[in-house]
Amino acid sequence: MQRVEDPRLLAGRGRFVDDVAFPGMLHAAFVRSPHAHARIVSVDASAALAVDGVLAVYTAKDVDWLAPLVSSGPMRDDVCVQSRTPLAASTARHVGDPVAVVVARSPYLAEDGRDLVDVEWDALPPVVDPLQALEPDSPLVDEELGTNNICHAEQSAGDVDAAFADADYVTSIRFHSGRSTAAPIEGRGVVAEYEDRGGGRYNIYSSTQMPHLLRMFIAPVLGVPAGRVTIKAPDVGGAFGLKCTVFPEDIVIPAVARLSGHPVKWIEDRWENLAAGVHSKDMVCTMEIAAKADGTMTAFRGRFVTDSGAYSSVPFSPLVDSQVAGVYLSSCYDVQNVAYSIDNPLTNKCQIGAVRGVGWVPGQLAREVAIDRLARTMGKDPVELRLQNMIGPEVYTTPFGQTYDGGSYAAALEQARDAVDYAEFRQRQLRAREDGRYLGVGFSPFVEPTGWASASAAAGGMPIPFFDTASVTVETDGSVTVTTGLHSDGQGHETTLAQVTADELGVAMDSVRIVYGDTDSSVFGMGTYASRSAVLGFGSIRESAGQVRDRLTRIAASLLEADPSDIDLVDGVARVKGVPDKSVPLQQIALFGYFGGTARPDDIQRDGLTATAGYDPGETYANGCAAAVVEVDVETGLVTIEQLAAVEDCGVVLNPTIVKGQVAGAIANGIGIALLEELAYEDNGEFISGNLINYLYPSTTEVPSLTLHSIETPSAVSAGGVKGVGEAGTIAAPAAIVNAITDALSPFGITIEKTPVTPEYLRQLLRAADHDRNKLVGA
Amino acid sequence: MKVGMTVNGVGEQVDVEPRRTLADALREDLALTGTHLGCEHGVCGACTVLVDGQPVRACLMFAVQAEGASVVTVEGLAGVDGTLHPLQRAFSEHHGLQCGFCTSGMLMSALHLLRTEPNPGRERVREELAGNLCRCTGYAGIIDAVVAAAAELGTTLREP
Amino acid sequence: MKPGRFEYLRAAGVAEAVRALVEAGGDGKLLAGGQSLVPLLSMRLSRPAVVVDINRIPDLAGIDGTDGTAPSVLRVGAMTRHAALVEQRSHPLLAEAARWIGHAAIRSRGTLGGSLAHADPAAELPAVAVATGAVAHVTGPDGERTVAADGLFDGPLMTALQEYEVLTAVDLPVPSRWGFAELARRHGDFALVLAVVAEVDGRWRIAVGGVAGTPQRLACAEALLNGDGATPAEVAEAAATEVRPGSDVHAPARYRQAITGELVRRALARADAEVMS
Repeated sequence: MQRVEDPRLLAGRGRFVDDVAFPGMLHAAFVRSPHAHARIVSVDASAALAVDGVLAVYTAKDVDWLAPLVSSGPMRDDVCVQSRTPLAASTARHVGDPVAVVVARSPYLAEDGRDLVDVEWDALPPVVDPLQALEPDSPLVDEELGTNNICHAEQSAGDVDAAFADADYVTSIRFHSGRSTAAPIEGRGVVAEYEDRGGGRYNIYSSTQMPHLLRMFIAPVLGVPAGRVTIKAPDVGGAFGLKCTVFPEDIVIPAVARLSGHPVKWIEDRWENLAAGVHSKDMVCTMEIAAKADGTMTAFRGRFVTDSGAYSSVPFSPLVDSQVAGVYLSSCYDVQNVAYSIDNPLTNKCQIGAVRGVGWVPGQLAREVAIDRLARTMGKDPVELRLQNMIGPEVYTTPFGQTYDGGSYAAALEQARDAVDYAEFRQRQLRAREDGRYLGVGFSPFVEPTGWASASAAAGGMPIPFFDTASVTVETDGSVTVTTGLHSDGQGHETTLAQVTADELGVAMDSVRIVYGDTDSSVFGMGTYASRSAVLGFGSIRESAGQVRDRLTRIAASLLEADPSDIDLVDGVARVKGVPDKSVPLQQIALFGYFGGTARPDDIQRDGLTATAGYDPGETYANGCAAAVVEVDVETGLVTIEQLAAVEDCGVVLNPTIVKGQVAGAIANGIGIALLEELAYEDNGEFISGNLINYLYPSTTEVPSLTLHSIETPSAVSAGGVKGVGEAGTIAAPAAIVNAITDALSPFGITIEKTPVTPEYLRQLLRAADHDRNKLVGA
Repeated sequence: MKVGMTVNGVGEQVDVEPRRTLADALREDLALTGTHLGCEHGVCGACTVLVDGQPVRACLMFAVQAEGASVVTVEGLAGVDGTLHPLQRAFSEHHGLQCGFCTSGMLMSALHLLRTEPNPGRERVREELAGNLCRCTGYAGIIDAVVAAAAELGTTLREP
Repeated sequence: MKPGRFEYLRAAGVAEAVRALVEAGGDGKLLAGGQSLVPLLSMRLSRPAVVVDINRIPDLAGIDGTDGTAPSVLRVGAMTRHAALVEQRSHPLLAEAARWIGHAAIRSRGTLGGSLAHADPAAELPAVAVATGAVAHVTGPDGERTVAADGLFDGPLMTALQEYEVLTAVDLPVPSRWGFAELARRHGDFALVLAVVAEVDGRWRIAVGGVAGTPQRLACAEALLNGDGATPAEVAEAAATEVRPGSDVHAPARYRQAITGELVRRALARADAEVMS
């Protein structure tokens, strides 16, 4: 099926934020801190202002009428609330922190001006190591807070200490999940104009995943009611969670549009994107497993320290990594004694935000790497050990109280095992070793909350209500308009949601138009992230379209003099069951619905053919399994992925092509996390990964052909049994790859303790292993 | 500086500063916003266009260097009536795009490949498209699409 | 990420280019393929007042000695694009090395002369030039001269070319046997380490890239290779001990050092270096 959005995107006629232009529009460039931590002594803009075409330079003082941007995180008592000014006023807290903005006639001139703004800095000691940041004598990243730790929290279920005391085997690992980010091909961007009428209003184009939430957060900072801010996000060139953050630039650009009296455009460059967007997954994990001699895993204990960067991001805060690594620790295993603790130290680095897979990725890595280690220690097969400890397919409540809506936990692992011909592979692996080649296989089964809504958020320790609405209108001519607050930045909602609507109303898909990405024309919604849109979109549309369908059916029944229960609505025509020649086209029903006067039922006279309904589903959880087959070149440490198989169970599949696309893209991201992606800081906090030459992510040659399988276990709780997809591959793939590498190198007995697994890191492990072995031989 | 060039078969003239990249001239001066900028340092490939038949990063060439050249952008692929080029159609049929931001560059690189190697296997397609990054698709649909388009097009893409 | 302002001059000939550089008084930059220079301009790491475009100078591009005879030295114009180096059949080592450069859209613009003059220590063509004993032809205000590749590279992004000189052509001896090996994180990336072995006039030469500020000749390893009885492993080990690489974001020094030997070994294997048996 061709996606609705394809023709315009393929023809180069998409409308991305950089394609938006207003007459008289100016261009902005930000002056950013080159220091990790420094006091701003003074800002001298005179040389910049002397450049022809540079109109203004604004600093924090010029925008002191803005309210602070406040991060309250998940609104829990144990989470610090952090405030920041949109432009750093006295202190810059990471390389890339914005301190001033230049507006000029062109982007070129804006950069000319930027280079001439003279900031006098007084360097402060940077906080770079997250564990040192937790020490009482550490310098503070944000003096106002009085602590570096945004949140320390602990949770425990069952009797963990007793389980460890009674264990026959205890496996303990330390794992550092590396710092990576979304890096969509389109960076961030904002175009804003200010209209000085009606008390002032802002018209903003933004590359965002959540137009309504963005509006909700920035309006109070700009000091206007939300209704005086319009956010438009037409086409968005990839987001992956980066763009569900509220950034200082989202506020500064509208503010300077007001100050300058001109529309202002800011298009992020790649350095800014990497240095000053959000980072993700930088977590120091320790993971312990207690097990009995027969292989029963009896307890999990984890500690997750997120290197949170300089600011608690809005709205998700660094807990989006640490908390979710901890609270879902038991995953698909029947382990009843579980405990975790989290810390979220601030450091002088870029803030941590919600990027595809969030803290599930480090949590998955820590647990699944530890389980493989346990299997090796016990001499057990890692697949068998997992199957032995897996929960059943039925509805299941975890020790921390999440209630899974049924899944194919064991079946997914078995299918992944079969997809890589596991038994045959072990033979092949042995033969290869005889030729000096090192092949390995690794598995990574997962459970992931999808359909992020109030219940799942609460169960995940992020107690904020999440829901969505949709409005469905059958127009006077029988065509259908749906508005939603969900956003699409590649997911193809114009297709999937149109398909859902068409099915529900019994109309042709091409008669349905999905309207989104504009707070003026779409109903309120919370946006697209956390693999939530299929569930929320389907549920809210089914509910609202169902109401309209009911009205259409009753009109048709009265026009056809039949009972409503005998009316079939198919392909835009209402028919009486069993009486094929008694039919009326939707167009006629719609016309009657609008203009049928008092012959219409009262509710239709009142509400017409529009219905708006919200949806807030129960907890939905997708599951699946990734399996990786790799070859390691032991001379260079280079890893080649020979095969990557993934089994995905996201409940009832709405559109198989799109689901496959989501899984494949997420896996590629996971390959990057496992092997390539690393946002590096020097010990002094200098940022050294600010371009795509240094920040590597997979190209065509690093992603093998993927083996993708699907299982459909309908959700026990959601409308239509849908569960949602988007992050699965990113969550599952890294642990599968790390386990495969460790398996490949099992003759050397290495332990991988970090991602990305770079060639030099592997070679270093191999050398150390050689060294140890020589020592043993010597002794 | 005044620069004359042919863009998608149409003679054009722009008046630009020498430092203006070809990408910006196409996007801003000629309103051909289908060419996208993803990194502006020659890595991501989103801005790839054909200049005199050769694939070029439009962020790494100045507009003034295109004087007298023939430039083809993504807007030049479809027919004047909007009929998609077989390569574009294949991208749609094989789900070779999601957000669509890398797509223009991907199409132009693929077009050049099929013109020079009408029947590349999967591995060649993989190799040749390694200079175009995509963060959405995992590349599977893209490679499928190019291979399928190659089969459909046969040798008809061999153009001077 | 937009370049700073500069004056642009499209040179019609080498003399005009030289004159423009002289007039720019040290603040001019030659624009060849632009694949390294333009990113530097866009990141504003380089801010020349004048950019002298040598893309339209006739006769700077092209390959001599491809008339069907097997030349012992290939003369290649400085503005010959990498894509053309891949296509030519007279110098298989040059073709192989050029294949490793970036991607199609880089090879269609990037040039041999640009690569040598840019002098990235991890680039392919400088290492090939050193390994084969190439000779660069340059033209400056005082006329033409030649610079041997061994003396061309002074340090990272630094060459023996004078401020106002234009590299016009390169003479590349065609090795009778050769091997090329490169390790990069991804297809098309700059090398972590690359190794070139080439037999020219009956003598083996070895050059490695990515391990020093310039492509490095490995005198000890070469001596072993040209002597009697050394095994490839011994040559490779000599190579690894001979380099003193630095660290960067992609790999620390000790790693580069460790894999230098391995890459030399692979290059030798590809060269089918029976000389050592």
